[in-house]
Amino acid sequence: MLYDNKTSSFPCFDKDSGIRVAKRSSEGHCRTPAYIRGKIGVIERYCGNFPNPEQIAICHPKPDIIPLYRCRFYQKDIWSHYTGNDCDTLELEIFEHWLEPATF
Amino acid sequence: MHDEVLKMGPHDVGGEKYLQIDTEDHGMTYWEKFSNGLRIAVSAKKIITLDELRLTAEKFGDEYFQMEYFERNGKALTHACLNKKLLTDKELIAGKKRHKENFTIPMIELPDPKSIIHLHDGEPHTHSRDDFQEDEKGEGPPDYFLEMLTIADILTEKKLIKMEDIFLKIEQFDNQFPTRGIDVVTRAWVDNSFRDFLINDAKNAIIDIGIKLESFADIICMPQSDKTHHLVVCTLCSCYPRALLGMPPSWYKSRSYRSRVVYEPRKVLEEFGTIIPDSVEVKVHDSNADMRYLILPQRPKGTEGWSESALSALISRDHLVGVRLPKNVI
Repeated sequence: MLYDNKTSSFPCFDKDSGIRVAKRSSEGHCRTPAYIRGKIGVIERYCGNFPNPEQIAICHPKPDIIPLYRCRFYQKDIWSHYTGNDCDTLELEIFEHWLEPATF
Repeated sequence: MHDEVLKMGPHDVGGEKYLQIDTEDHGMTYWEKFSNGLRIAVSAKKIITLDELRLTAEKFGDEYFQMEYFERNGKALTHACLNKKLLTDKELIAGKKRHKENFTIPMIELPDPKSIIHLHDGEPHTHSRDDFQEDEKGEGPPDYFLEMLTIADILTEKKLIKMEDIFLKIEQFDNQFPTRGIDVVTRAWVDNSFRDFLINDAKNAIIDIGIKLESFADIICMPQSDKTHHLVVCTLCSCYPRALLGMPPSWYKSRSYRSRVVYEPRKVLEEFGTIIPDSVEVKVHDSNADMRYLILPQRPKGTEGWSESALSALISRDHLVGVRLPKNVI
């Protein structure tokens, strides 16, 4: 699911559905931190459509306006040695072209 | 702690093992305020976008964390202006030289030491020139500030920005923005229907009480409760609800906070003096894209009947980021 300039502007993930953040590297500017790539969580909410920052950063004249989601992860699913509580969570925003459907 | 192959650049620090956080806010110098105002004026006019400036800073590689925050952002602005041919190397060098001269304090010839013999404890005492050197070593502004002044001149000459845009931002960050978040929270504490509106649709609720938000970003309000403790970080840069809270404090922009709070939030909270019981879920919000987060603390106990202005004295910015909790009034 590399960004192919064909990402739909219609959000394809529902609230609470399982997702995995793509585990791939990126070139240039990108808003998907390395620590969350490859991790499994759920959609917390759809935030609306926003211009793709990866394109804005390279002065694309017409960046695509694409779906952005808040995704929720259990900390213990991100960090294998997490020392806090099992119930602790982390939420962050991921653009749709970085998400793949997943089940726990 | 994470896969180095995936790591995007020096800025992508979430999960790094790092040092203890300096939890004190060190404020801002005038040149930091000016540089910040210029950067915002330039991105607000879309002359150079925020994402372009971020990418430019990220390309600094190892130098990224060798520079402090405002120097890094300032140098990124200079690089981006040069890349976009908004100014030439020659103009930059000439502008810096001109501005540096403005900061040069002229050396004043000291009087003949023999003429300033005076008495110390009743004994005649002669001063030499060395005694006065300390007074003449005042440090000038950093190099990047001379670049910012030059860029401000040139973009103003080109009529792309106005100096007033920069000064307005300095004024707003000093006086207007930091009080807004506090006003929103005290209103939510005294007005339940506003509280519900705020939690469901923060941006519109804030606009509805007459606060004009300059920022394009959407806002999400997270209420603290007995079940969940929220706190905010931006692991990739320093995203922060500036239009509501002003500039982020020093620690929010630090490598130590940005790297650690995502994987050991309870330890980080302890460093701020905040102990969260085991029965409470700690929820970290990495403010990494287009949303900005305002944390709504619980109203302190013992404040029944208090006015909004009395309540506002109990709130600090740190409560609205989630690293500290307001104290109950007993």
